Amino acid sequence: MEILVCVKRVPDTADAEVALRPDGRGIREEDLAFGINEWDNYAVEEAIRLKEKHGGAVTVATIGPAESEDVLRRCLAMGADDAVMIDEASFRGADPYGIARGLAGLARRKAYDLVLAGALAGDDGYGMTGPVLAGYLGWPHATLVTSIEVEGKKIAVARELEGGLEEILAVELPAVLTIQTGINEPRYVSIMGIRKVRSKDIPVLAPADIGVGAGEVGENANLLRSLGLSTPPAGAEAVMLKGAPAEVAQRILDIVKERGGVA
Amino acid sequence: MAKVFVLVEHRRGSIREATFECVTLARELQTAAGLEPAAVVIGSGVAPFAETLAAYLPETIVVDDPSLEHFRFETYAAVLRDLIERETPLLVIAPHSAFGMELVPRLSAELARPCATDCVAVGMDGGALAATRSVYNGKIDERLAFAPAGGYFATVRAGSYAPADPAGTGAIRAHACPAPPAAWRTEHRGYRETAAGAVDITQAPLLLAIGRGIKDAENIPKAQALADRLGAVLACSRPVVDKKWLGKERQVGTSGRTVKPKVYLALGISGAFQHIAGIKGPGVFIAVNRDPKAPVFRAADFGVVEDMFKIIDALAEKLGAK
Ligand SMILES: Cc1cc2nc3c(=O)[nH]c(=O)nc-3n(C[C@H](O)[C@H](O)[C@H](O)COP(=O)(O)OP(=O)(O)OC[C@H]3O[C@@H](n4cnc5c(N)ncnc54)[C@H](O)[C@@H]3O)c2cc1C
Ligand SMILES: Nc1ncnc2c1ncn2[C@@H]1O[C@H](COP(=O)(O)O)[C@@H](O)[C@H]1O
Repeated sequence: MEILVCVKRVPDTADAEVALRPDGRGIREEDLAFGINEWDNYAVEEAIRLKEKHGGAVTVATIGPAESEDVLRRCLAMGADDAVMIDEASFRGADPYGIARGLAGLARRKAYDLVLAGALAGDDGYGMTGPVLAGYLGWPHATLVTSIEVEGKKIAVARELEGGLEEILAVELPAVLTIQTGINEPRYVSIMGIRKVRSKDIPVLAPADIGVGAGEVGENANLLRSLGLSTPPAGAEAVMLKGAPAEVAQRILDIVKERGGVA
Repeated sequence: MAKVFVLVEHRRGSIREATFECVTLARELQTAAGLEPAAVVIGSGVAPFAETLAAYLPETIVVDDPSLEHFRFETYAAVLRDLIERETPLLVIAPHSAFGMELVPRLSAELARPCATDCVAVGMDGGALAATRSVYNGKIDERLAFAPAGGYFATVRAGSYAPADPAGTGAIRAHACPAPPAAWRTEHRGYRETAAGAVDITQAPLLLAIGRGIKDAENIPKAQALADRLGAVLACSRPVVDKKWLGKERQVGTSGRTVKPKVYLALGISGAFQHIAGIKGPGVFIAVNRDPKAPVFRAADFGVVEDMFKIIDALAEKLGAK
């Protein structure tokens, strides 16, 4: 099985202060820690497991700044066979449609059976790049996938629905799948492992190499145009309980008791 | 007059709640932008759903065909390509759910009509449609405009609009299902329950919920011990289940369980909408998080900015002393 996995380098913003740039068109990146998008980590693991079971090779790809190389090396250390980067300059500010155009060009360079993407990117959270890419390729797709079984030229996948329900879908190959967290337990990557792939060549492709013409992608070609970023309005905030942990704990217990939650 | 379509989401015989939130948005756009709202019901034997929707919007379009029994991108997209081409709605809205995520973005790419996904608001901005999205873990809002195209799509985050109440009697109109292609490339094979387990978090009056802030598997017993002392049932956010530290039956949220406890005490949970959407009812919500900007404080009634382990220890100590 030839598998292409699309990965994105994203900042960890769950546990960090996020500040706007003065121009209001982006966030300050200086103090943030970056790494592989959580959903993509599961996608890479799943691709490697499919390869281990059914043979073939795994290629990881990203469209991003030079720093994204670290993310690709991490994927190589996990067991991906090849990594490729698309030169970001012409994609700067591209919306998911532009990114998907680039990834589609890349997917056409080889006879892939499967393209995996994350269900969602933790930064912009569109959750659309995978299915849009499938549309450009004209391949069937399934989103929010939580298991994959290969059945010859077909696969059976579980799609996560709401409320602990899944649906089973048979999908013909080649196909695009977006991977949901929890599908597997991604393997641990050691510093040693990363060191081993230090010298592996990671080609950087130009838009022309993937059949994307000048001006076809990037900010000016976007279907979605940013009108700017802002911090959310204060709105209905919680009543903050202040004081030493012991005082706060007492307040919490009082509330629990008052509200009939027992304790 | 230009139209706004609401794609009706239904599964296994019932209309999903999120549909009625989209109805509210459609009505708002009727007032703000003069768009004419219509519900679009696609499925097999869905006449009763159309009847229901007719009580909410002035028009309901039904596409009823045995081939549409279970939702699939391929079959629904074939219907919608045909319908959208004929009726040229200005905007098509759907819930940002497993249904909306599977269907809408790709359809938008195929039709070259831009789609803003996971919107918390859609409205008019200087005479044009604009969407608000919540990005970077709910810490930043982004406003988006659409590049000029014949029409647009938006998927709407659960809980962004209140579900609509019925109002009036609308017209119901059938639209024929287009002829199927020679072969389909996907096939629906059935459903599977994944959240069954011994613990039922939906009935507990007191839930102690832990998130990624619990950090390590070895801290789980500590949380369980506190839950036991409190007389609470231990619940969690998704990452705790993804890491297999607790069973799926304990997960609160859109893809887990919906709970309605008297008290919900959340420790180390950031407050993603997929989590918050699973907490319902009039109970009180207390959140402990060391990040004062965590979005969970916009959903909770009471908040504590503190290391959750200090609170766990302090609670354990108080309860031990009793
Ligand atoms: C289709 C779909 C369905 C989903 N369904 C669900 C669902 O049903 N339920 C669900 O929960 N999620 C669901 N998610 C995932 C959701 O988007 C979030 O990723 C998830 O809820 C985050 O969990 P968390 O808050 O525990 O972790 P994080 O977002 O990583 O937050 C951890 C928080 O802990 C705080 N923290 C860290 N250490 C400490 C400490 N020592 N003391 C105090 N605070 C600390 C941090 O400040 C941070 O705010 C779904 C996602 C998708 C795409
Ligand atoms: N710049 C990028 N390079 C490679 N893959 C990407 C990029 N942006 C998004 N993706 C893929 O698309 C998925 C969903 O992203 P999004 O649609 O932005 O939520 C991610 O998990 C990645 O797999």
